[in-house]
Amino acid sequence: MMDAMKRRWVPYLFLSPYMLFYVAFGLIPILFSFYVSLTSWDGIGKKTFVGLDNYAFLFNPDSYFFTSVGNTLLFVAVSLPLQMAFGLAIAALLYSKFVKWKAFFQLVNFLPYIVTPVAVGLMFNLLFDWQAGFVNKLLLEFGLIEEGIYWLGEPLYARIVIVLMLFWKGFGYTMIFYLAGLANISKDLHEAAAVDGATGMKAFWTITLPLLRPVTTFVAITGIIGGFQLLEEPMLLLGGAGMGSASAVIGGPERCCLTTVWNMYDTAFGSTTRYGLGSAIAYGLCVIIAVFSFIGTKFYREES
Amino acid sequence: MSTRSRTVTATVTIALLSIVALLPFYIMVVMGTYRNEDLFTKIVLFPGNYLVENFKTVAASRFDLAYWNSFIVSAVSTVLSVFVSALAGFAFAKYNFRHKSKIFGAVLLTMMIPGQLGLVAYVIEMRYLNLSDTLMPLILPWVANAFGVYWMTQFIRGAVPAEVIESARIDGCSDLGIFFRIVMAFIYPAVTTLSLLVFLWSWNNYLLPLIVINKPEMYTIPLGITTLGSAYRTDLAAQILGLSIGTLPVLVLFAIGSKSFIRGLTAGSVKG
Repeated sequence: MMDAMKRRWVPYLFLSPYMLFYVAFGLIPILFSFYVSLTSWDGIGKKTFVGLDNYAFLFNPDSYFFTSVGNTLLFVAVSLPLQMAFGLAIAALLYSKFVKWKAFFQLVNFLPYIVTPVAVGLMFNLLFDWQAGFVNKLLLEFGLIEEGIYWLGEPLYARIVIVLMLFWKGFGYTMIFYLAGLANISKDLHEAAAVDGATGMKAFWTITLPLLRPVTTFVAITGIIGGFQLLEEPMLLLGGAGMGSASAVIGGPERCCLTTVWNMYDTAFGSTTRYGLGSAIAYGLCVIIAVFSFIGTKFYREES
Repeated sequence: MSTRSRTVTATVTIALLSIVALLPFYIMVVMGTYRNEDLFTKIVLFPGNYLVENFKTVAASRFDLAYWNSFIVSAVSTVLSVFVSALAGFAFAKYNFRHKSKIFGAVLLTMMIPGQLGLVAYVIEMRYLNLSDTLMPLILPWVANAFGVYWMTQFIRGAVPAEVIESARIDGCSDLGIFFRIVMAFIYPAVTTLSLLVFLWSWNNYLLPLIVINKPEMYTIPLGITTLGSAYRTDLAAQILGLSIGTLPVLVLFAIGSKSFIRGLTAGSVKG
């Protein structure tokens, strides 16, 4: 009897460390951030309550909020299909019974995904440097260009480099999901298809690909949501070596590559210290992500 | 086509495709072995002979301190996160209590919230607690890790037999004793996976240290890498070598543990 009484408290006790830390360092900051988003505050002086002014300002082009959301969507819309197609191709090859050293090739193609994002940005900054960069050197060597292209100084080129960078970093991620999906498709299906005369490419298009649709949807949703959190790669690609110069080129040439989180960082902790507006950007971003998650989950449920 | 020639074709194809992944790494490593001036004048395809000199330049920047800080942050975050997640996962998986499914649902819901939502107030909170310029702000957010709880709950539910827990209880083992002596022994694979994930996430974290850390002696690797550039602005080669050195340990760690790491990442995507 005593024992049972005591045991009722045990699960709550086991949950308490998680709850304590979540409330202290997760929930309270989230709630307090919402309050801050209703004020005008530089973190030092007095808070002035301004109601929904910060949220209204998000619709003003000067806040760059929708510019940054648009940039982010553009990067995702161009790079994600490339990542998925290439990731699927590699996964399909790896899954076929003809490839040797599977574990090795899987690892090699996955490595870019786990490289520190800061390092990815700097690496591509060096690759596309107009003077010492490998890409310009190569193009010059083959006589394809007369003089070095100013990759990171022109909006269109800078965007191309970002898409390439995201593609390079991300295709290994889509690959492992497609591999997991392929492993889930029963071998019997393929054998049955082979009996009916569907083999090779035909079997891939008519059987494998449709069965992978839930995986495709999942990768697309997480890719879009993850894309909204994009920060380090473009920041270091365009800020270049050393943070000292970063403030001069926020968002790259003509802010063509400003992402939403970069915009939030810069508003609250970078070139201005507008904590209220920064918090409002964070809440705005959260709403946009929630919308995409909602639509995405609906899609995902229907598929599987 | 014979099986043999098919094998050769497929393997060569994938090897060529894999060059896409490897080429930037290769260029990075090779560039770090040249004199800075040479990088501007010629195209570098094969390793040069300036590695040792560049290494001395990097070592002079106290890169070892950034390494140490990153290691402390990632190791402590990992241990705390895994322990707290496993404890909560045990409660969700093996006990019945009031509002259990509601609480579990709430935990899952917090998984959806982007980490940046509370960032501004978190930074203010850290200043208020006098924790700026310490490593604490980089560790605290990882302790309550919703994904970790989800992961551990799923695993403990499947991997720890109820009979074993019951018989230990009959033998007079306390609930905490059951957790440490029995549950922990069964969930070794889940611990490995979660450890790798949390270690990587906290090692790669940049935004938070960028905001809360100002003292160079408290820099973590991502911050250290970016400042190598401003300390040696002209020495591109040394900076590139620093990049390689800063990236290498996680790559090695994940090469070793890639299997269980990938299992964690793909968890829940494919039904199972």
